[in-house]
This record gives sequence, structure tokens and C-alpha cells, in this order.
Amino acid sequence: MITALPYVHGYSRLRRFAIDIAITQVFNLIIAVLITYVVRGHGGFFVNLVFSMCIGTLATTFIDGGRLILWGEQKPPKLKFIVLIIFSLPAAQFIGKLLAAAMLGIPREALSAMRAGNATAMLIGGAVCSMFIIWFFWSREHIEFLRAEAEAEKARAASIEKQALQAQLQMLQAQIEPHMLFNTLANLQGLIAVDPTRAQHMLDQLIQYLRATLSASRSEKTTLAQEFSLLDAYLGLMKVRMGARLSYTLELPDALRSLSVPPMLLQPLVENAIKHGLEPKVEGGLVTVRAEREDDRLKLTVCDTGLGLDEAPPSDGTGLGVDNVRERLHALYGNRAEFSLIPNTPVGVIAQLTIPL
Amino acid sequence: MNMIRALIAEDEPILAHTLLQTLQRLWPDLQVGGVVENGIAAVTEALAQRPDVLFLDIKMPGKTGLEAAQELAEDWPEDVPFPLVVFVTAYDEYALQAFEQAAADYVLKPVTEARLAKTVERLKGRLAQHTERNAELERIVGQLRSLVPHVPATSERLTLIRAAVGNQVRMIPVSEVIYFEATDKYVNVVTAESESLIRTSLKELLPQLDPNAFWQVHRGTVVNVNCIHSAIRDESGKLSLKLRGRDEHLSVSRVFAHLFKQM
Repeated sequence: MITALPYVHGYSRLRRFAIDIAITQVFNLIIAVLITYVVRGHGGFFVNLVFSMCIGTLATTFIDGGRLILWGEQKPPKLKFIVLIIFSLPAAQFIGKLLAAAMLGIPREALSAMRAGNATAMLIGGAVCSMFIIWFFWSREHIEFLRAEAEAEKARAASIEKQALQAQLQMLQAQIEPHMLFNTLANLQGLIAVDPTRAQHMLDQLIQYLRATLSASRSEKTTLAQEFSLLDAYLGLMKVRMGARLSYTLELPDALRSLSVPPMLLQPLVENAIKHGLEPKVEGGLVTVRAEREDDRLKLTVCDTGLGLDEAPPSDGTGLGVDNVRERLHALYGNRAEFSLIPNTPVGVIAQLTIPL
Repeated sequence: MNMIRALIAEDEPILAHTLLQTLQRLWPDLQVGGVVENGIAAVTEALAQRPDVLFLDIKMPGKTGLEAAQELAEDWPEDVPFPLVVFVTAYDEYALQAFEQAAADYVLKPVTEARLAKTVERLKGRLAQHTERNAELERIVGQLRSLVPHVPATSERLTLIRAAVGNQVRMIPVSEVIYFEATDKYVNVVTAESESLIRTSLKELLPQLDPNAFWQVHRGTVVNVNCIHSAIRDESGKLSLKLRGRDEHLSVSRVFAHLFKQM
């Protein structure tokens, strides 16, 4: 479907009609040449040209004009269009001949005689020519229609692609929070002056964190070892920033290192523990991330001694990361995965997820 | 001229250290009275030291920089000029540019030396103008009012409060409440004949109340407008409310004093 007409209707139709009439004249000329030199009908080239011009122009006027008036530039309904042609063609033949005869000063009787002479040939010739012209216009319309449709399709595809990119960008922005990035950079800036070695180490961790975060959002699987090294980089950065307020341990048995897991499942939970548990807590605390095998299932635990579920400031979307993890688990494993969020004793939160191996 | 004294509130040790060093380089005369690492300490230390300049990180544990400033504005002694506040933040989610020309300044982390130098010049200029300084508190209070966002109203309005008293649950229609008062971890619900504690914070409660019926008049007090008899200003200029149905008076903090201007 053509979604929007670019011009004002009246002007556009008139312009279209003028172009069609002009093209018709070319056909008329060709037909006159054919009749004079190929079919060798009687009469000279000039006479044939006048006849051809009159009949052809009228046929185009009736058919094309009728089409534009009735349906504009939209594709006409087939049946009605054929009816239009059936009425237009004989009318154009008849009136065109009279008109041409009048213009050339051929008397009516001579015309009747001419008609009697090779009426069938003229009729068939005229019909074939008209059909050819109609076919030309029709297929031109059709090609344009297809082209418009292809363009619309292309635009649609582009917009879908844009949406996908936007979603990915939003995901990245959610992961690499501006607060986190600028604070980390500020710490780096400070460290460079006082402790270049530590600054170097911190920069390495930032690079590792950024690389892992950016590539994880594009890949579908990662290993547990990779996931833990991302957590190590993230917690290392936070450790530099929070100083003595943060301690952390990562427990990954060697046997589980090469297990394949979906990326970024643990990351939001660890970030929650920091963001909602330990960062807002004056004394800070401890984060423990643990991977364990339970029969044929993998149990991942993020445990913190932060503010806890009740105390966390309710305003800034605490549930968002958790909802996200829940949805992803459900999409990936259906009912075979479990997720729980319970209070830690004496303080803090334990987030635990269990997925099939 | 007296020494200009400053206090820095910043929870990340390296950043605090960096800010301190840069300040010392740019403003050797500035006497930094210390670095505090959270919002609560920022309030107590500022009240104790009464600095001329206060660098407040926005995102701090305990209290945000904005909350700390608001609390200071409420509790600041009348006879001491309010400090010039410079907010420090990694990411300007509060559109702090609005402050640049006004009572408080702001700097973004990582802090560039050129930007901090500009702030130092501005601070020096403002400290020299005594008249400006006296207006500082009023201006900051006005700005905080617009900055600390009104909590968006929740769709469901609270009509009935269920408060546990001993082994019974008391049902209190919200319209009968004269005022709510925040205590440590609870809110005290005060009616004409009773007081009961509910386990929630004023922050969580406020969005559930009709803003036309209940006004916050202090960071720890929300009062039923229909129960206010009158607002009284004492000799020191402090505003307090006389209530219908209760004998005690409620004090109104500077931040909310504008609610009781005469028409």
C-alpha cells in the first residue's frame, strides 16, 4: 500500500495525466509508422499519423483520465478498470476517426467506404495498439506500486533495526551506569597522582569490566569462570572506591569453571547488593558470591550484609534488576530454574538462583 | 580577615583526598576542618564546626547531600551565617546547573582543576560580600524546596491506619489523625485521644496521604491541615503551630515556613 501521497492530489493527477498523454504521442507515432510502412494500409504517413493521434489520444484520455478521476493514483480495481476499457476503446475509435476525418477534410462517405474496406483490420489493429498502450501504462503503474511497497518494507526493516539497537543501547546504559563510570574515572584520576601502580591496576580492572560488560550483552553464552572474572573486576573497582567499607569473596570450585552459563545473570544481583545494600550503608559490609553443584543443578548465591530488603530506599527501582533476572530465567529455563530473595542473618540479603546443568 | 574554614563530605576516600589536595593547591589560605564520609556525619560535623564553605557529595551513605543540606537549613543556628554549599556529583541527575549562578555551586566528578578554580573564585567573591552571605540560608532553603522532589503521589490513598497496640490492632481513620511524627524507625500517629506507633517511615507514608489535607511542616512532622488552629512566631522568629484537639505545639522548620505566610 502506498502510505502517503507526496503531492497535493489535484496537481499530482494533472501532472500524471500530462505525462501519460505525452507518452501516448510517441506510441501514436510508432503506430502511424507501422500502419504506413509495415501493414501498408492505404493512405499516406501523414493521414495515418492524424488518425493514430486522434484515436490514441482519445483512448488515453478516456482510460487514463477516467482512471485518475475515479481512483486517483491508487491501483484501480481490476474488474471496474476492464469495464472502463471496454467502453472507452470503441468510443475512442469512433470519435477519433470522425475527428481525424474532420481535420483532414475527408468526407463522411469516404470514411464509410474506408471503414467498409478494411474495417476488421482497422478494428483489430486499433484494439491491439490500444491494448499495448494499456499494458504499458498498467505495468508501469504496477512497477511503481511494487517499488513503493519495497521502499516501505525497507523503511520498516530499518525502523525495526533501529529499535533493536536502541534496546541494546538501553541495556548497555543500564549496565554501565553513568554514576559508576564517572566515579570510577574520578578515582582513577585521583590515584594516578598518588599511587600510579594502583591506578594502573584499577585501569586494568575497568578495561576488563567494560570489555566483559560490552561483549556479554552481545553473546548468548559465557563460562562461569568468565562471569566470575567480570564480578572480580567489578568488585575490585568498587573496592577501590569504597575502601575499607567493602570486602568481598568469590567462591568458584575449579570443577565448575568451564560450565557454560547465560551472561549477566549474576552481575545484576551483585550490583544490587552493592547499590542497595552496601553503598548506602554507613558501615559498609561484605559480599560473597558462591557457585555450588547440587546433583545435576547449579546453585549460585549472592550474599550481602547490607541494609537488607526492608531498609533499602524504596524509591529507586530496587526490583528492576531482580525482575529482569527472574524474567530471563523463566525465558531460558521455564520452570526448571528457581530464584529466591531472602533476608540474611543478622542483616543483609541472600539472592539465590538454581539452574539446570 | 578571619580564616575561611571548609568541611568536605565525600564517602569515597580517594576522591575526598583528591578534592582536599586540589583545594589546598588552589586555595592555600583555606582551612579544611576535616573530611566526613557520610551524610549523617556531614550534618553533625557541620553543625559543630560551622564552616564557611561546605563541599557536599550528593550520593553518600546515611543521607544524601541534598538531605543533609536540607537538614542543616532546618537546624542551623540563627546567629551564624549559613555555609556556602558546593554540591559534588559524578552524574548530574538533578540538573544542578540551575545552581551555578545562585546560592550554591556544584562541581562534577572527575573534578577538573580549571572548573574547581572557577568555583574557588566564585566562593571568594561571595564570601567578600557580607550582605550576600546573610541571604544565603533563605536562598538555599528556597532552592532545596524546588530541588528535593515532591514524592509522586501513589494511586491508592490511605484511608485507614492499622496500628498495633499491645495485642490489639487499632483502626484509625486517617481523617482523625492530627499529626504524624517520625521517630527512629517508626511513625507516631497522634489523634485527639491516642498515640500509636506504626512501623513505616514518613517518606513512605507521605505519598499515600492527600497533599491538600496533610502538610509536611518539618522533616519529621506531617500535620492535618484541618487541625491547625494558628501559626505563631516567637521573639527569635521561630514558627510553631497551635493545634485543635492537642495541647502541644508543633515547630515549623524554615524549609516549610512559606506555607504559613499570610494571604
